[in-house]
Amino acid sequence: MPKKILLFITGLILMSAMLEASFTTQDIKVHQLDNGLKIIFFEDHKIPSISYYTFFRVGSRNERPGLTGVSHFIEHMMFNGTKKFGPGEFDRIMEFYGGSNNAYTSDDLTAYTDWFPPHALEKMIEMEADRMQGLIFDPEVFESERGVVASERRMGVENNNEAILQENVRATAIMAHPYHWDVIGWMSDILSWRREEVIQYYRTYYAPNNAVLVVVGDFDSQKTLELIKKYYAGIPSQTPPPPVTTTEPPQMGRKEVVIKKEAQSPSFLVVYHSPKCQDPDFFALSILEKPLLRGESSRLYRRLVRDEQLAISVSGGLDEKIDPYLFSIFVKPRPGVDLDKIEKIIDEELNKVIEQGLTDQEYQKALNIIRSDFYFSLQTNSGKANLLGASELLFGSYEELFTLIDRYSQVKREDIPGVAKKYFHELNKTVGQLIPQGGNK
Amino acid sequence: MKKLLTIILALTILLPVVTMAVERLPKPEKLVLDNGLTVYFLKNPELPLVSFRMLIPGAGLAFEPQGYDGLASLTTSLLLKGTRTMSAEEIAEALDFMGARLSLGDAEEYASVSGEALVEHLPRLLQITADCLTSPAFKEDEYKKELARKTDTLKSLKDNLGAALRQYFRKAYFGSHPFGQLSSGTESSLKKMSLTEIKKFFASRFRPDIAIMAVVGDIDRDRLLGLLKETIGCWPKPNTAPPSLDILPLPVPRGRKLILVDKPDATQSYFALGSPGFAVNDKISSRASLMNTLWGGRFTSWLNTELRIKRGLTYGASSSFQSWKNGGLFMAGSYTKNDQIGQMLDITFDLLKKARDKGFSEEEAESARNYLLGQFPQTLETNGSKAGAYLRVIFYGLGFDYYDRYLNEITTVKAADLKKAALELLPEKDFVLVVVGKGDEIRKILSKYGQFQEKKITDPDF
Repeated sequence: MPKKILLFITGLILMSAMLEASFTTQDIKVHQLDNGLKIIFFEDHKIPSISYYTFFRVGSRNERPGLTGVSHFIEHMMFNGTKKFGPGEFDRIMEFYGGSNNAYTSDDLTAYTDWFPPHALEKMIEMEADRMQGLIFDPEVFESERGVVASERRMGVENNNEAILQENVRATAIMAHPYHWDVIGWMSDILSWRREEVIQYYRTYYAPNNAVLVVVGDFDSQKTLELIKKYYAGIPSQTPPPPVTTTEPPQMGRKEVVIKKEAQSPSFLVVYHSPKCQDPDFFALSILEKPLLRGESSRLYRRLVRDEQLAISVSGGLDEKIDPYLFSIFVKPRPGVDLDKIEKIIDEELNKVIEQGLTDQEYQKALNIIRSDFYFSLQTNSGKANLLGASELLFGSYEELFTLIDRYSQVKREDIPGVAKKYFHELNKTVGQLIPQGGNK
Repeated sequence: MKKLLTIILALTILLPVVTMAVERLPKPEKLVLDNGLTVYFLKNPELPLVSFRMLIPGAGLAFEPQGYDGLASLTTSLLLKGTRTMSAEEIAEALDFMGARLSLGDAEEYASVSGEALVEHLPRLLQITADCLTSPAFKEDEYKKELARKTDTLKSLKDNLGAALRQYFRKAYFGSHPFGQLSSGTESSLKKMSLTEIKKFFASRFRPDIAIMAVVGDIDRDRLLGLLKETIGCWPKPNTAPPSLDILPLPVPRGRKLILVDKPDATQSYFALGSPGFAVNDKISSRASLMNTLWGGRFTSWLNTELRIKRGLTYGASSSFQSWKNGGLFMAGSYTKNDQIGQMLDITFDLLKKARDKGFSEEEAESARNYLLGQFPQTLETNGSKAGAYLRVIFYGLGFDYYDRYLNEITTVKAADLKKAALELLPEKDFVLVVVGKGDEIRKILSKYGQFQEKKITDPDF
């Protein structure tokens, strides 16, 4: 679950000025149907394949206690039958046509990602349009899929120490906003969702006016638009979903979670509340994240892994979110080390940034990383489709993809200490430790 | 994420499965450097990026001295930890500064190098790569750090049931065969590891004259050739004859070999079932790939349909073929709640039997053909994947028309061929089965399949 978010984290960091002529805002065609469905096209005929991505503006952010995890559950149910295509038919037909697909749910959005040969296009449009409004939620299938999701939670969280710690730290740091719970949802909710409530949720959020289609690859825009109209135009728009109004109150002191569990080695995580992705501070923190955490030359890696040899690895950083979320520093400590010492070293390193900022070399490194990551993610049709869609939903418009460069270059090296000071302080911090039972501390 | 399956497939088998639907693998240009290194090159100006891959045959884990599990892997990681001219920090800083990627790894038959960067950074990236391959420092303190890190990683690996299962399975299946060496190392192998052994392995195994390289990206041939000559071209060719690359035939299980690994706090049980597969250049590969697609290779496969889609026993169930020069492996696996492992295994065995007894319908055969053909183009979409395909074709002696021939074969396969492939390849009586889970809950359930040899996850090694 938390992993899927990574799919577009790296990608969304962009540099428009360096964009190739073959992928500019002028090459993107945009349409909107009367029912509100937004469509983004980018034709590219290099390989005989089409990436067809459907984004819905719904994620765990839109849930409430009792219904946690339901956005992700609906992602599963989207493969389990409509009036027109029975349970499992979507996958069977798609694979028969040579297509394949995946899907992911994050806190902020749900994405259905299809890739297939051009001859499958009309069938795929038909089936995607159909499941936008026609799911039947067969009671027996509903129960079986509940079991799959419970198994996913057992595998992904309960049998995974890092995930358990992450879930606990998130829920401790964030107390009011729905980012409090993980996308997978609480086990007791998974086991007790009621069918009618799930259907109501689906009707509210799976509507053309709450969705964006992104199509990239070997297709003809004009013909494809006609096909999309043929299958989607009849889907009625719905009352727009209620906005998420809860704001996380400022944290007023250091928080701590300590988990004791059978494990071979400990885990450690520290988080700070951080800004939403549309906030100017987001870009400064995103630059700072690179020399702090990224790669073996980063400050925390050098200090914790190489020099002091307290840890096996260091990772983390900022996530792109609609609402303010967390800056995470995840450490895999070596067995037996003093976890408080790790926290102290992280504090020291963050204070150095606050007091002395980044070097020129580090600042340039961050920009280089941002630029190469961007190109790496543009290598495939699916990479482009994902960036366009995530940009549209998280940054407000696909066009932001082509202007974000300015926002990064507007961040001056001198701005970074001030931004760091604003977020990296004791009152804003939550610390999590997972200590193997039998104790190493 | 809906499908773990896709990821598992991509990691384990998809390379031999891919076929050339419409897009052929463009033929690369062959460049031979003075030191014997052969380089395959294709220009792709689409993005300002260049990717390269390199294989060093004979430097993989199958060539480690017996009992030195993890030696090949430690060798490749130490290559990035300092050279005659750069410290480990300087290498890391130089790579990170460019936003470039450089990694070294060890497969069974070869060591591999993989790099990519913005084209403007390629000269520096090649320079660093050449430096790491030609003049590694192998410093004692860096060695100690890497060894300590590997030891700790091995420890946390046992907290992750899926990862632990793979190690237990490999040891159980391959035993003392060279493919039973574990890249992760084992508690005992890391205890007796020494820098002397690593240096010896490097000196005898890493050489340019048998290495092959592929470069794909936004660069001209002449410019690239110049850069290669100045960098990797300076890697001296040894005077000695290349070491033998022969590997013993893979073991063939007789009867059932059953292993239970007890992890008392596990809420789920994981299983892996394995039996012989086929070599890379075996004629059966197109039929086998299609058959596996239907049996356990894709989301709507029999296995995933019965275990996940119909019954919700698991999040994912899949099977795969993995192939090498002189043999291969069939593997099926999934996981479920401890008390449901018996039901899961029963269904798995029933499906193996059904494929062998009844085979597949013509409609299924058509679906599998369409699927493999339709999914092919994306597998060669990036510079890196094209470079990887070149090396595969060369290393296994398949010929650049391999994917075309493969495509043609795929289109001719009928249901009857798939049943034959199932009879030939799916296990009936002879297999290795490893289950990791909570012993107290599953011991009794498993007893109906035969006598399990039991191990504790806390015991050293696998």
